[in-house]
Amino acid sequence: MKDLKYLTWFEDLLQEANNELVVRAREEGKRCVSYICENSPEPLLNLDGCFSVRLRAPRTGSMEMATYYMTSFLCEYSRALLERAIEGGYNFSDCLIAPDGCSMINRCAENMELLHTMDKGKEHFFYEHMEIPMKADDNGLNLYVLQCKNHILTPLKENFGIDVSDAAIRKAVTEHNRVCELIRAIGEFRKGEKPVITGYEYSVITMATYAAPKAMLIDRLEETLEELRKREPDVKSPFRVRVALVGSEIDDPEFIKLVEETGAFVCVDRYCYGSFPGRDPITLTDDEDALTQICRQYMYRAQCPRYMNTAKLLERRSYVDRLAREYGADGILYEQVKFCDPWAYDRMLGSHIMRNEYGYPVLSIDRPYTVSGVGQLRTRIQAFIESVEIKKLHGGS
Amino acid sequence: MKDENRIGTQNLGSLYTDGRVRSRREWRGVVDTAYDFSRWLHNWITMFRVVLVKPRNIKAMFRYRWMASYLAVPMMIDRHTQGLRNEHLRICHEEQDLIVEDVAKLLDKLFRGDRRIGNDKEFSSKVVLVDENEMQSIMMGFPTVVPLSREIASTYIPVLLNQRAALHYIDVAQEYGLAGDVCPMPEAEAGVSIDDDAPVLGCCAVQCNTTCDGSLMGNSVISKRLELEDGIPVFQLATPLRHREDDVQEYAAQEIRNAIAFIEEKTGEKWDWTHYFECAKRVNYATECRLNWLEMNRTDYPQVFGSNLALYTETNYMAISGRLKVFEDADRKISALAEKAFKKKRMAANEYRHRAIIWGVQSHYYMDFLVWLLNCWGIVPLTDMLSMVNTRMIADTDTPENREQAIYDIAWLTENMIMRNRTHGGYKVLLDELWEFVEEFNADMVILWEHMSCKALDGMHGMFEEKAREKGIHLVWVSHDLFDPRVISRQGVRDQINSYMRTVMNEEPVDPSLEILNDAESW
Repeated sequence: MKDLKYLTWFEDLLQEANNELVVRAREEGKRCVSYICENSPEPLLNLDGCFSVRLRAPRTGSMEMATYYMTSFLCEYSRALLERAIEGGYNFSDCLIAPDGCSMINRCAENMELLHTMDKGKEHFFYEHMEIPMKADDNGLNLYVLQCKNHILTPLKENFGIDVSDAAIRKAVTEHNRVCELIRAIGEFRKGEKPVITGYEYSVITMATYAAPKAMLIDRLEETLEELRKREPDVKSPFRVRVALVGSEIDDPEFIKLVEETGAFVCVDRYCYGSFPGRDPITLTDDEDALTQICRQYMYRAQCPRYMNTAKLLERRSYVDRLAREYGADGILYEQVKFCDPWAYDRMLGSHIMRNEYGYPVLSIDRPYTVSGVGQLRTRIQAFIESVEIKKLHGGS
Repeated sequence: MKDENRIGTQNLGSLYTDGRVRSRREWRGVVDTAYDFSRWLHNWITMFRVVLVKPRNIKAMFRYRWMASYLAVPMMIDRHTQGLRNEHLRICHEEQDLIVEDVAKLLDKLFRGDRRIGNDKEFSSKVVLVDENEMQSIMMGFPTVVPLSREIASTYIPVLLNQRAALHYIDVAQEYGLAGDVCPMPEAEAGVSIDDDAPVLGCCAVQCNTTCDGSLMGNSVISKRLELEDGIPVFQLATPLRHREDDVQEYAAQEIRNAIAFIEEKTGEKWDWTHYFECAKRVNYATECRLNWLEMNRTDYPQVFGSNLALYTETNYMAISGRLKVFEDADRKISALAEKAFKKKRMAANEYRHRAIIWGVQSHYYMDFLVWLLNCWGIVPLTDMLSMVNTRMIADTDTPENREQAIYDIAWLTENMIMRNRTHGGYKVLLDELWEFVEEFNADMVILWEHMSCKALDGMHGMFEEKAREKGIHLVWVSHDLFDPRVISRQGVRDQINSYMRTVMNEEPVDPSLEILNDAESW
């Protein structure tokens, strides 16, 4: 296929946490709200006068300092973030919002705070740790709303004078939804038998919407969507099977590239930093305040394994099944970043249930945060693809 | 400080053999040896009386792999009484023997209701299954409901008895696909569930997000078995992590209301306020006693301390929660013995050299390590993280206002479950409060258990080191893998102290016979 016009530009945005759009937004006087976990409602971090950046640590090398502070048993994502913070890589931040999504991310954020990694010389800088629900129900919703008020809206208003009114939140949702709709529309091109976008390209574009000010991406997302409408697929597809990628945090598109280089098309992305459910538009009605509606939708759509009620446990499987069917996946690749406790359990259960109860071929892997030098992983994925391919040739599932 | 008047064995290492059991019983002088032997006999009688005389329980011995570990009960108590004399020996027996009786009754009840063994359906219909690490304060208003924890019986206690008891279940979970770096406690519990090796009974279950992410997620494996295969409905009690914050307390209280409503619905029983406030009084009495003991431990003559304090607090505070009067009686006896010993300035070992706070999550397969620490190096374990739990008095008189307050009290206790109150709630409760305790207890040393799979503790590793250096406190890391002695053996645990004491402190052991022990094969 012909290269996408803006792919390199999107890729460049992912090379640094402090990318060119972050720099430009700050030059325009906007406050940068850094955050860590997908359970932070994004529209609340993108009110007029501020923009959100979900922290990543691209091109991570050594994690020696973070390993000293948190040992080698914490997941590499949390260590890579702390290392980058200690190095000064997030000095562009004006605050940090950190829900207690898991113990490791909590400790990562606490070390950032204790070591004063981002706040030096910034009078109004704040670190906020949030409680978020572990069950999706009315009680959880009340907690979520209160926590968002106390740990996002109030500090933003008090420290930076941000307008946190219902009208301001609704405006932020409109902008957020525009980005989500574009990402969804671009993602639709993965459904066809001859997709005109690769999983890698899609992940780069999606990732950029987490890593850069959203409003500044809209023009190029629209152009990319138009370009895809006219893009001609390769005559002979390089892909032999279609897989759904499911699991924990992936913020490096190189991992998707690695999967696709082995001949598997990543047709659907159900992981933290992926588009499902992170890029679901938020529907607002006029009969209830926007904050409550946002929290409700974040809570009920969440696929994070920290949600412990049985209904959520079951829904996580049916959700994957629905996506796999909708996007025509031949198999499922369950992954977790090494040392992640929540996904260690959910990957184990999920891979058994999707194989035994839903009938999908499943490959279950744990992987390092950085993708370089993972020959064994490549071999495992290749073997899985061959097994799925053989099943397909034999007409089985 | 030295105690020149102690009677009996000085070289405790001579009791060890290379096998599973010790070479002989410890000589403590005529009176204490006779007393100790009478308690040894008493515990065997308890086990026979409550468990072994019933044919159904014998059947359970052959059905459940973990049951064999219970034969090592008397030896576990011997490990914890090592070197003790006079009141200290009696305090230890008051605590441990009561725990033995309570666990024996737990086993008997589990098998009575178990669909595979006793299958007493009427009894089972009043049983509510609870987590191993769950505060049972939620059951304080249900006098006719029987809360039982299968995990306490199948994993928690067996590892205290036999260091290798959980290995099979850890392997089962890993063979099923669980990553090997998670905490082995929920891992083993998940393994029991995958292996279908737990009694099946009860009208419902209440799970709780207890100590960590692993514990929370291990519940999903168990609830899948319970709810989807055994048909036992499960309520997940989601307790806030940031438990010191005011803005989570209403959420916590509502979760308690919902849990009570669930239990009422499934058991057909009603919450009994009279019974609740009776239990609340006992909870307060237990808190008062614990605070008094800790107050003594701030002086030169600590009396209720070490692994006995930790084990007893875990049982009394968490699993009993004021529901049984017999624990109130034990509290009273222990307090009287402690007062008596304090007045006589009794010591629990030959020599006290260092005053230590024990922090972090203890090695479960080596729970008597604190006894060794005292006897081998004269390091006095003044208190430990597991014993530093709730200090608040809860409402204990029945008034309309207190009925409302009671829900918040139960929520508070549940949030402040053992271990959880330190591993969750932010760095202040784990890091900052440690140094406050060091000061309050006039400690010169911190023994910091580094349970290598405990991510919440590991995540503060560097900060612990920096603060210790800043404050000039000796911080000794002791790594272990909680349930799995294959990763770090008991001698491996001891060697970490031996090295520090010899190379950093330049000291010789109080009892050199304990420095190196071949107890790899021991229960």
